[in-house]
Amino acid sequence: MIVIRSKAARDVLRCVIPFLLIPAVVLLGAAVFSEKRHAFVSLAVAGLSVVLFLTGFERQKTGSRRLVIVSVMTALAVVGRFIPVLKPVAAVTIMTAIYLGGESGFLVGAMTALISNFYFGQGPWTPFQMLAWGLIGLFAGLLADPLRRNRVLLLVYGVVSGIFYSMTMDIWTVMWYGGGFDPQLYKSAIIAAIPHTTAYVVSNVVFLALMADPFGEKLDRLRVKYGV
Amino acid sequence: MRSFSDFDPIALTVYFFAAAGSAMFCMEPVNAVISLLGAVTLYVVRSRGGKLRTHLWSALLFIIMALVNPVITHNGKTVLFVFNDDPITLESLIFGLTSATVITAVLYWFMTFSQIMTSDRLLYVFGTLSPKLALVLSMTLRYVRLFRTRWRQTQQTQRALGLYKDDNIIDSIRGGLRVFSIMMTWSLESGITTADSMAARGYGVCRRTSFRRYRIRRADAALIAVSLALLAVICTGIALGALHTDFYPEFTLHSSGALTVLCHISCFVLAFLPSAFEAAEAIKWKYLQSRS
Repeated sequence: MIVIRSKAARDVLRCVIPFLLIPAVVLLGAAVFSEKRHAFVSLAVAGLSVVLFLTGFERQKTGSRRLVIVSVMTALAVVGRFIPVLKPVAAVTIMTAIYLGGESGFLVGAMTALISNFYFGQGPWTPFQMLAWGLIGLFAGLLADPLRRNRVLLLVYGVVSGIFYSMTMDIWTVMWYGGGFDPQLYKSAIIAAIPHTTAYVVSNVVFLALMADPFGEKLDRLRVKYGV
Repeated sequence: MRSFSDFDPIALTVYFFAAAGSAMFCMEPVNAVISLLGAVTLYVVRSRGGKLRTHLWSALLFIIMALVNPVITHNGKTVLFVFNDDPITLESLIFGLTSATVITAVLYWFMTFSQIMTSDRLLYVFGTLSPKLALVLSMTLRYVRLFRTRWRQTQQTQRALGLYKDDNIIDSIRGGLRVFSIMMTWSLESGITTADSMAARGYGVCRRTSFRRYRIRRADAALIAVSLALLAVICTGIALGALHTDFYPEFTLHSSGALTVLCHISCFVLAFLPSAFEAAEAIKWKYLQSRS
């Protein structure tokens, strides 16, 4: 079987991906393909970094309780993505990250992109969405303490992550279309995506404002009641 | 012989990434067209024509993407006409068409890919990568359904208690929020119980084994080998410049004889391999049917 079940293989992968594979892909991309091929290089790098992060997740001693809560939150985000216009995915990811840590946040973001795309359409953009939402969760986990204490900061983070998500996906659109990064195209892509960006920002703010208190209460209650 | 979707999911994943990758990696008109034809043929064969709406959307997307480039980029020496004081060039149009062909081809590859990779196949691929991840994946898929059931149950209980009003919009929103809150608390806390139950039964004590419906047979290994070999040929072609195309200032195909032809043949075989399997299976089915 071609299986990466052994711990040793995963450990090897953890060393090989960041120190050999990603630099090799980048260098090869620069050397072999002409300057017009950044899309594929960045796609490969995005995919590899998600794999890298997930191998790290496996190795950590993650309790089964946390695992179940991550599943519940992911399912909530997946279901929430069916709401027209307003998408609570980033908000759910941020809330999870604040209360359960950056890894859980990354996992909720990445898994939501992967699973919901079974309903919304898989494509080469899936790794980019996984990476973008995952990173939103990861950074929220790093800023957990100030974000939990300061409501204004939380909403500002919602705005920033909405713009970040939209602009990341615009980079992807431009690179895929032209094969390379064209600032002019990027500018027009950003302008074309303004309605989407606004929708992301508004939904992040709305859902964070709505969810912060009740969800904080619920997740805090879990922590007190069960000691997660 | 089996139909194409009966191959091992890992082999299928490798194949699809080789097929979609070979289309994406070379911006070369001939390869792009071959790949698009292969992808569309497979989609049409597998879903018996497919929805008309899907094809119309793809066609619309194709036209938009093909026309975006000549409007934005004005490089190239053959001016077709002048639009709003901007020259529209033939080269720019060809680049747009090639881009659109590649993107549409990849879209069709992925449409078939997500058709074939049902959640159990996906779970199997992920389970080989990381059992814990596969667990999260399967639990999430299950919770998506469970939420709906619990939502309905909570709503009915609330209604029976006389707490749920939907006479006006404010009340119905407040009622909806309350039901949502109850459902979330329920799901989160029963999730903890599930986790404790798992731990009590020994989850995480030793390495997990899992039931596998699929195993790699000789045909699967062959499919993996063939896809990788064909991909390697195309990559060699790209690396040696056999598939190099200049779009600006003048559109030229740098054909270098045998290698270019070989690359096109590889691309053709790679693109039409699954359609051939499906066709062979259909023919076999037709002739093995007993006629009384």
